[in-house]
Amino acid sequence: MRDTGAPSPLNDDDGQWAAVIGDDYDMPADVDASFRTVRKVAVGHFAVFLCVVVGVPVLTLTVDWWSGGRLIGGMSPSFVMAAFGLYVFFFALAAAAATLSNGVEERMLGAQEREPVDESDDS
Amino acid sequence: MTVASIIALTVLLLAVTVLALVLRPGRASTLEFYLAGRRVGVATNACAICGDYFSAASFLGVAAAVYVSGLDGIWYATGFAAGFVPVLLFVAAPLRRFGEFSIPDFLGRRLGSGRIRLIAVCVVQLIILSYLVPQAVGSGITWELLVGEGVLGLTPYATGVVLSTVAITALVVLGGMRGTTWTQAVQFLLLLAAFIWLTVVVLGSGFSYPDAVAELDSEPLANPAFAGGEWGLATESNRLDTAEPATFGEPGGRYGPFGQLTLMVTLVMGTAGLPHIMNRYFTSPTGTAARMTTVWVLGFAGLFYTLAVLLGTASRSLIAKSVESHPWLAELTVDGVLRVPEHAPLVLGRIFGGEAGLGFIAIGALIAVMSTIAGLLLASAASWGHDVYERHINPSASQRQAVWAGRGAVIVVAVFSAALALGLRPDSLTALFPSIVATMVTWAFALAGSALAPVFMLAIWWRGTTSRGAGAGMITGAVTAIGMFTSATLTGDNGVGEVLLAPTIVAAPLATLVTVVVSLCTPTPKDVDRMWLRLHGTAADRRAARLARLTIAGVGGVKGVKEDRSER
Repeated sequence: MRDTGAPSPLNDDDGQWAAVIGDDYDMPADVDASFRTVRKVAVGHFAVFLCVVVGVPVLTLTVDWWSGGRLIGGMSPSFVMAAFGLYVFFFALAAAAATLSNGVEERMLGAQEREPVDESDDS
Repeated sequence: MTVASIIALTVLLLAVTVLALVLRPGRASTLEFYLAGRRVGVATNACAICGDYFSAASFLGVAAAVYVSGLDGIWYATGFAAGFVPVLLFVAAPLRRFGEFSIPDFLGRRLGSGRIRLIAVCVVQLIILSYLVPQAVGSGITWELLVGEGVLGLTPYATGVVLSTVAITALVVLGGMRGTTWTQAVQFLLLLAAFIWLTVVVLGSGFSYPDAVAELDSEPLANPAFAGGEWGLATESNRLDTAEPATFGEPGGRYGPFGQLTLMVTLVMGTAGLPHIMNRYFTSPTGTAARMTTVWVLGFAGLFYTLAVLLGTASRSLIAKSVESHPWLAELTVDGVLRVPEHAPLVLGRIFGGEAGLGFIAIGALIAVMSTIAGLLLASAASWGHDVYERHINPSASQRQAVWAGRGAVIVVAVFSAALALGLRPDSLTALFPSIVATMVTWAFALAGSALAPVFMLAIWWRGTTSRGAGAGMITGAVTAIGMFTSATLTGDNGVGEVLLAPTIVAAPLATLVTVVVSLCTPTPKDVDRMWLRLHGTAADRRAARLARLTIAGVGGVKGVKEDRSER
């Protein structure tokens, strides 16, 4: 589908029209494929997130050492996880998911704009 | 109040006013007023989102919750930070790429229905009010402790509520989203600086975090309670093991078997439905920038909440030891424990920095309140001014009229929330809710996570979502959440009350189910394929990135950009 967002034709150094901007468009099939891949990335990372976030209360209820043991001074594994560990985990998970999603979109969308210009094409 | 505090407060108010005037929208345009022209960079927007998000509930409430409940209080901070993970995974990029003005506008356009926009406006206004009132309460508490005197015959608490509301309303009316963005970004850096300073002086005094937890854990957790006409310390019961008393470093001080989980679900789901936070994503230049902004937010949130938890622990440990050497603590404490837990970071600031230290932390608290109020008022203005006035009441309104409608909405909502806050007395509610500010903000999260977030995510990720389905889902989520809150006043916060006070774990799945079932029974919008290209395509992102490169390169750089494209 052609993007309708008011392209601005520019002239290159030779005074020839050059469609530098406004050529950006996505094909529905490409968007659908990219959407499905990004969704897999999101759901996969969310599953990991959910396991950890739900896992901490479950460990509290089921493993005595989790709340009763001592790791640093009086801090139990549960305390260390809540006070520091989960924030590091959230940041690492977010950075990984964002990098992967951006990479997927970069590779799967806009490919037609990256194709080399055919110099012999006079049209 | 010291001269230093008065000077600092005056400088703060002046700085806010000057920023608002300098950065006010150059022309009367709704795009400028509500979205800062969609040109807010990643780092700036991340700081502004943090300024918006880290309210009194984060600055005062998290430390207070840790102070009162120990380990169980930390889950407020964890939930507040965790909420941005689903936002990053499911919301930020597509929401920005669709590119509307607000959540109701997004839902109205995506589902092709004016009615769904109006239903969403009602839900958004309820969320905003639930969030605004505790911010105003927080400003009243802070003023009461910082200044201790009222003006124009008002009590100190009322003076804090009124002054903060008036100052920030003026900022929003004058500065719009651009002025608010920059002041929120600066305000977040000041908040962080306040916490870093306090942490450095506390640790510098010889405070050992692990040893303090061990020491606090060695005796039962006890908090002030008003019984038999006088204050005394009451030992907290352990909700996981009734045979043992609750302690600071172990679970059970606040939550039973399900409480921790229900709170986490409420805070995690709620973040994705907070109108003032989601609106900020519309100000990013691209969807990719919105996604990366969220990564930065998670980094900042991790740092901020780690410090908040440390300071809550330090307050519990150090304030009790300081009562003898600091006689002024006597009227604030009962046997060394603060009556109003939200005072914890403020008192710690005064112990280690004297009046100037109290002033610095109190100004941080006022900043936290003001920046969040600003974001909420802007979200409310976008909702009334754009979604209702411009879309429904006067569709042919000029840009100037629409902006003024938004400004009028800001004033009305600010007055209403201040009036509600004046009707509340935090110390009278402390017995009912250990940290009233954090608890009230949890209600806003519960409503957002129950009514808006499920519908919002389905509209982004499921083509089959229809306006009727979304409407039914939102109403179901809102009614269930409010009904469960109301029931909680009868049951208390034990047992089933834990679920009733944080109802998202029930209300959100129910809202999702109703949305899906009703959507399956109704026809989908005709142009859903076009919507999908806007939501999940990156053409607009690539065009914006290319335009930005051209702007930087100038006309002489055009050829270079072309070559760059060929090489790629």
